[in-house]
Amino acid sequence: MSEKVVIRPYEVVGSPLCVASEDGERVYALVRTALKEGRKVDLSFENVSILTSAFLNSAVGQLYREFSEKAIRDSLSVTEMSQEDADLLKRVVETAKSYFKDPDWLRRAHQEVLGEDDEQ
Amino acid sequence: MVFPLGKTRSDCSGFDQLTRLAKSLELVSFDKVDIDMSGCTWFDANMAAPLGALLYRASHQLNNVRILGASHRLENILRKNEFLLNYGRLPLTDSNVTTIPYRRFEPTDGRYFISYISKYLQGRGMPKMSAGLHKKFLESVYEMFNNAVIHSGTTLGIYSCGQYYPNVHRLDFSIGDLGMGIRESLRRKKQLELAADEAIRWAFTGTNTTRTGLIPGGLGLKLLADFTTKNGGRIQIVSDRGYWELQGGSVRSSLFDLPFPGTVVNIELNTADTKSYRLSSESNLGDIF
Repeated sequence: MSEKVVIRPYEVVGSPLCVASEDGERVYALVRTALKEGRKVDLSFENVSILTSAFLNSAVGQLYREFSEKAIRDSLSVTEMSQEDADLLKRVVETAKSYFKDPDWLRRAHQEVLGEDDEQ
Repeated sequence: MVFPLGKTRSDCSGFDQLTRLAKSLELVSFDKVDIDMSGCTWFDANMAAPLGALLYRASHQLNNVRILGASHRLENILRKNEFLLNYGRLPLTDSNVTTIPYRRFEPTDGRYFISYISKYLQGRGMPKMSAGLHKKFLESVYEMFNNAVIHSGTTLGIYSCGQYYPNVHRLDFSIGDLGMGIRESLRRKKQLELAADEAIRWAFTGTNTTRTGLIPGGLGLKLLADFTTKNGGRIQIVSDRGYWELQGGSVRSSLFDLPFPGTVVNIELNTADTKSYRLSSESNLGDIF
């Protein structure tokens, strides 16, 4: 059985401040690649001091776009996270599940990519 | 043109005055813009953020902006927070260290923004907040910065400034942008036509979000509201013609006669708060997903 891949946001971001959405994207890209390879992932938040919903939405929330709840539950674990940050992550996860359950999200996402939202 | 700027507090009348300034400046270019502060007996230092946003836009329209007539005391406050450095004054040392200086950021300056907040919150004169409160405040102001980045579409930057009032244990911090505002964002992205104050109320409700992309969102304002209520602080939001305030669990909202050309969020923190900051659930790490 293959060993769990450990991804450390501290190392990926290069800072204890995991706040920016674009930094979350970097973490997401690594987690996504590992999950697509069928690997189990441990997201270790050791030494992270500040976390925001913006970062977690990017790093974790958007996984629900591509992977089923079961696949994520079976393959992704979180360690070294404070209780309050775990509460925040839980809230982010619940929001992400609802967001991607809305059948209209894909159409809206396409609109945004095509820039139709920005028309006057 | 000359605009007389009177007493400017972080309240409805202070922001109302800025909406009138915004309207006066809207179509002015290649002109002289004199902000006459001779009648200004009080200026909440954090209000330098929305004022700075409007004056930046005026300079961007190639006006020659000057600030005139401020009392010696007011000049000192606005030199200490570095606002007046944009208008030809020299810096003045903030010997009490109670200021988070005025800054303008680009939407790509997220890391710089959080470093700036962290740096100035640790000043000698800054409140000795509990670790939990300090962390929640940093998270909250970053959520606001991120909201401006994601939702406003601003091309002229994001403006911030803060002031600690040690005698009353309050820290006021404002973030403003010159983007489309919440009402317009709702109209474009959700095809919802609401009055500006109703649009702000909508953004604070349930799981509402104007986020339409590949990444979910919509938590930032709710987290801020939960935090501020528990902390005993206050949030004020001005966007377009809307004014919305949450204090002590009660909401007050109204409409200005004129719009502010963007969104301003002011967070007033009760720095004497020693509560623990955990969300209402107690999530088990093994049961997150």
